[in-house]
Amino acid sequence: MHDPDADDVAKAGQGDRAAAARLIGRHAPKLLTVARRMLGGQAEAEDAVQEVFLRLWTHAARWQPGKAKFETWLYRVMLNQCYDRLRRRSAAPLEAAENVADEAALPDAGLDEGMLGQEIGRALDGLPERQKAAILLCHFRELGNIEAAEIMGISVEALESLLARGRRSLRSRLEHLKGFVGDVS
Amino acid sequence: MTDENSDRNFVDRAVRRLPQPTPSLGLEAALMAGYDAWKAEREKGVWAAVKAGLRRFSETVWPGAPVWVPASVLAAALLVGAGLGAALPVAIAVEQSGFSLEQLESFTLLASDTTQEEDL
Repeated sequence: MHDPDADDVAKAGQGDRAAAARLIGRHAPKLLTVARRMLGGQAEAEDAVQEVFLRLWTHAARWQPGKAKFETWLYRVMLNQCYDRLRRRSAAPLEAAENVADEAALPDAGLDEGMLGQEIGRALDGLPERQKAAILLCHFRELGNIEAAEIMGISVEALESLLARGRRSLRSRLEHLKGFVGDVS
Repeated sequence: MTDENSDRNFVDRAVRRLPQPTPSLGLEAALMAGYDAWKAEREKGVWAAVKAGLRRFSETVWPGAPVWVPASVLAAALLVGAGLGAALPVAIAVEQSGFSLEQLESFTLLASDTTQEEDL
């Protein structure tokens, strides 16, 4: 299995700045999308991405290409970083408060793209963190079930179960937006 | 369509509507700065290890002296060694390639016979 990042990881580990820049350009935006959705805030998501890359540099020199796909490792570190940060947050019921979609505030028609995205984001934020991670990896990042399960450190069956519950829950949370989401081709 | 497939398609469509966060202007610079800091620390680490090795060597060779003293003595010894090495092989080569009548006389058939008898 050819890992498209293996060369750049090895070079970055030896001090090649251009290789490091290529890795950042290729992965930072994707990691940021996942971190942003997992953590909620842009600043914290960017902090998390920086932490992930610092860990990458310290591991790059010892990277063994055959062991695991680099991207899988990177997302795993990213998810762990998000879980740690979520755990460090106080157990205040902030998440629950955020999750209640304010249906009364929604207009009957003419919901614009930005508002629709925000509503979907809020509904997604209301899912338990592992269901949210599974949905982000499989639907948002469009990774295969095997790779997503490897990233999350669970079996494929467990991932499928998380996905099924997450999808059902998300759908019921967005029931009031069925018309808007449904008519999107 | 089963409920599960229907849920999957719905979530697929919904997730595509999520806004894509734009990295802040400083993020890439911050990530590169992180790389540069790591690299500087690593290079400092290598240089520090080399210096510590030199210090240990110097303490073994010449305890209490600053590093430059054994380093200078070592350099002087290397120079002398290199000078001798450059001059001596020529003298040895001349010596080995010069045949003389005395050397030929020292070879006798009797000596080789004696050795064979001893072996038997």
